[in-house]
Amino acid sequence: MPRELPPLSHLQFLALGVILSSDEPGRVIRDVVADYGVRRTGAAFYQLMARLERDGLIDGWYEPVVVGDQAVRERRYRITAAGSRAWRQTRSFYETVAAAAAQGRLSNA
Amino acid sequence: MPDPRLVRVLSALLPRRVVADAFEPAWEDLRIAYLIRRQRMTSPLGKAVLRPGYLSLIILLFLDCWRIAILVRQPHPAITEPKQTERVHMFLYLIRHAFRQLVREPAFTVAALLTLALGVGANAAVFAVVEAVLLRPLPYPSADDLVILNHRDKRTGITKEFIAIGDYVDLTTRQKTFESIGAWGRGQTSLVDRDDPYRVHLLGVGANTLDLLRMRPVLGRVINADDTRENAPPVMMLGYETWKKRYGGDPAILGRVIRLEQSERQVVGVASEGFTFPPNATTDIIIPFDLPTVAPAQRKSGWTFAIARLKPGRTLEDGATDLTMMSRQLEKEFPQQNLASEYFPLGLRTALAGNTKPALLLLFAAVGVVLLIACANVANLLLARSLGRRREMSVRLALGAGGGRLALQLLTESLVLALVAGTAGVLMAYWGSHALVALLPQSSDVPGLNDVRINGRVLVFALGIVVLTTIVFGLVAALTVRSERAVGVLNASRGSSMGARARRATSALVVAEVALAIVLLVGAGLILRSFAALLAVDPGFRTENVMTLSVQLPGNRYRERGAREGFYTQALAQIKATPGVQDVGMAAVTPLTGNNWTSPFERPEQPVPAGERPPEVGWQLASNGYFKALQIPLVTGRLFDDRDSPSSPMVVIVSEAIQRRFFPNESAVGKRVKIQGDQTAEIVGVVGNIRRAGLRDEPRADIYFPFERNKPGQTTLFVRTAANPEKALPAIKAAITRIEPNAFVSDEQTLAHVASESERVTQVVLWLLGVFAVTSLALAAIGIYGVMSYAVRQRTREIGTRIALGATRGNIVWLVLRQGVTIAAIGTVVGLATGLGTTRFLSSIMYGVKGTDPLTLGTAVVLLVITIMLACYVPARRAASVDPAKTLAEQ
Repeated sequence: MPRELPPLSHLQFLALGVILSSDEPGRVIRDVVADYGVRRTGAAFYQLMARLERDGLIDGWYEPVVVGDQAVRERRYRITAAGSRAWRQTRSFYETVAAAAAQGRLSNA
Repeated sequence: MPDPRLVRVLSALLPRRVVADAFEPAWEDLRIAYLIRRQRMTSPLGKAVLRPGYLSLIILLFLDCWRIAILVRQPHPAITEPKQTERVHMFLYLIRHAFRQLVREPAFTVAALLTLALGVGANAAVFAVVEAVLLRPLPYPSADDLVILNHRDKRTGITKEFIAIGDYVDLTTRQKTFESIGAWGRGQTSLVDRDDPYRVHLLGVGANTLDLLRMRPVLGRVINADDTRENAPPVMMLGYETWKKRYGGDPAILGRVIRLEQSERQVVGVASEGFTFPPNATTDIIIPFDLPTVAPAQRKSGWTFAIARLKPGRTLEDGATDLTMMSRQLEKEFPQQNLASEYFPLGLRTALAGNTKPALLLLFAAVGVVLLIACANVANLLLARSLGRRREMSVRLALGAGGGRLALQLLTESLVLALVAGTAGVLMAYWGSHALVALLPQSSDVPGLNDVRINGRVLVFALGIVVLTTIVFGLVAALTVRSERAVGVLNASRGSSMGARARRATSALVVAEVALAIVLLVGAGLILRSFAALLAVDPGFRTENVMTLSVQLPGNRYRERGAREGFYTQALAQIKATPGVQDVGMAAVTPLTGNNWTSPFERPEQPVPAGERPPEVGWQLASNGYFKALQIPLVTGRLFDDRDSPSSPMVVIVSEAIQRRFFPNESAVGKRVKIQGDQTAEIVGVVGNIRRAGLRDEPRADIYFPFERNKPGQTTLFVRTAANPEKALPAIKAAITRIEPNAFVSDEQTLAHVASESERVTQVVLWLLGVFAVTSLALAAIGIYGVMSYAVRQRTREIGTRIALGATRGNIVWLVLRQGVTIAAIGTVVGLATGLGTTRFLSSIMYGVKGTDPLTLGTAVVLLVITIMLACYVPARRAASVDPAKTLAEQ
């Protein structure tokens, strides 16, 4: 049976995973993704998030925060319904692949 | 908190979408991180480092955003054609693609950009100076018609930029090609109309001078013929700046009488804003010259500078012919005074620029050669790069992209490369042109030198170079695409190899580089030899530890000879008493400053035959201490001393050259010489010859008149000290101003500096030509290294086979070196032939060396061959270390 490739890259999958249950600021998402060994410059990371936003997978907005005596803004993100769907599809793909691999069905031998 | 304006500026320089998507949120994160760190930071050092660190991160973010703007979300160019069909979109696509290509190949991009930026920058820098000095219009209407009259002694070839007063009068009335001829001269005086004397630079003018300069006064009238005739009421014009600064721009200044040092003059006009003559000089006031209307019997009783304006439609050659004919007439009419005298015109700009003009043109040509070599190198880089892209090109051709389209893409890449390099080059030119101006002699007469800038003309020039280089590279690109079409390679899977056409092109480029490099090497070598010869020249006096300074006494207080006598007696005594001072003397002419003042020399017992003019010898007014301070040796007789007062009989000192020429078999001392009319003077001493006008000057016959008898109000002091003379300068100046507080001391410089300045142009040319030659040699070495490295890669299999068949390492090294030697040999022959043809352009700067100097030519060739051998040796070693087993196995 032909199977479809996942709609998300592993990096997008990771980023959406961070905000699956609650919205988070961009720098937190970037830190978590970095913990998985995917290091991106600030500009490259936010470019990735902007693409997810344009594809309707997440919503982004600026929220004021106070650090010390200064009021600044940070970019926060929440996952959309389409985003949740895409994440689940991707997870299901990886699970299928993992199961097939466990049964030796992905082997070339 | 760092200034948000920086962020706003950076945002404005980025595409809007990238700002919204990436720059803004990432910057907000940086801010938060900065604030958190600042809160936690306790050490002052940490706080000090934090802010610059934050700013650096913002700059890095900005650059990163540009990287993203260029790289991200573009379809892969090798496969996908753009969807936009409109030309503008296509153009933008090509530009973006070209940028992306450059970013992807940083090694190529940096090498090509640096080479080109250096080429464009050096050219634009030299052009900026050429533009200011030689091309920018002089600040007078129709300035191309203005000429300066010069005098040449046909017997000696010595030229002077001033003319005898009798000749001036006759030339003015007889000439036919000029609208008019005007006298002019410069000087300094003081306005003493108030308590604070005001030092001013004055311009003296004849009847027509201001008219022919087309000067329109802002107030009143210009100085005219009525003001220059004898016994005319004394008048003056104020310079615009003087009028504004000293008199507050008061329109009631007209008619006011202002006291100068030696006279009172009525103001009749104010010059136009910015008017000065010569262009770089300061003109604070303008006064009329008192000139005779009929030539005096003593035609050389006075001298003046003269400027003329050609009649409309007349050329410089017409002016020259007219002056030559008039000179011949005067020679016939006044043989005793005018024999061998010839007048000739020089364009105003040529006259003002002097020897700076040939030097600038030479440097301009040399820097053009550097650009050509840089272009050849970049073309080679492009050829090498095109090999790496053969597969991409083949795929695109196979997918249906036309050759024209690919050529357009490559042309755009060259254009982008050249434009970026051009921008960097213009920035380099900004600094370079100022550095060049600082190096050149700071003569106030060279027009435009004080106003060198990167203006529209320089930008157009730089753009021209950029376009030219683009065409050169574009041709390389087009050639490459054509060869791709011919080969039709989709089967280029075995790596990239260069076609015969490209190989020949590369070798030809390197031969050209070698040839051009040797031209510059020979040029730089010849100037180096000239400079060494000049350094070895003995001027006939010692320049070390001598300070020279000009002293001018206020004319109103020192009109009487007795007053001047008193001042000089006291000044000499006080300066001599200054600690460290060994000798002090005075003279009218500072040696090595180009001064050519002469005086006729005639023995009363050997009068020149009727119809002939006595020969001219160098003229100097010098005191006893002058000879001692400069250590000019006394050969026989004595120097001037207290016996030579104004009331005693006139005496002179002559140089050894006079002794040899006019008194070959007898001593000159005790003989008499005619000085003016029937007046004679006794020769009391013979001193050593000196090179008076400059180091290139041959030691000439000189006659010295005693300063002790004359003592003018203006003189130059020569002070020899035991150690560094600059340390004694404050004490020397203090000694002068103690005696006369209003004495005007200027031009303080060491004699060693004067000597060095006299050959400043040679030094500048030597330095820059040396830098250009080394740069071109390095570029040629890089070029040949690239070609040889490529050749070795291409022949790896052949070399492996040769080694397997028994070739030694030495054989292989020689195999590679031979190719390099061939290229070097062809380049050297072409370069030497060209170099020998171009050395004549150096003739005005060369000294004591011939254009065919075998040492220079030989050294240049040896240097070049060594450099090329070194450049070839690395690829040769690599070839020799090829493993035959491995290469044969691959085969």
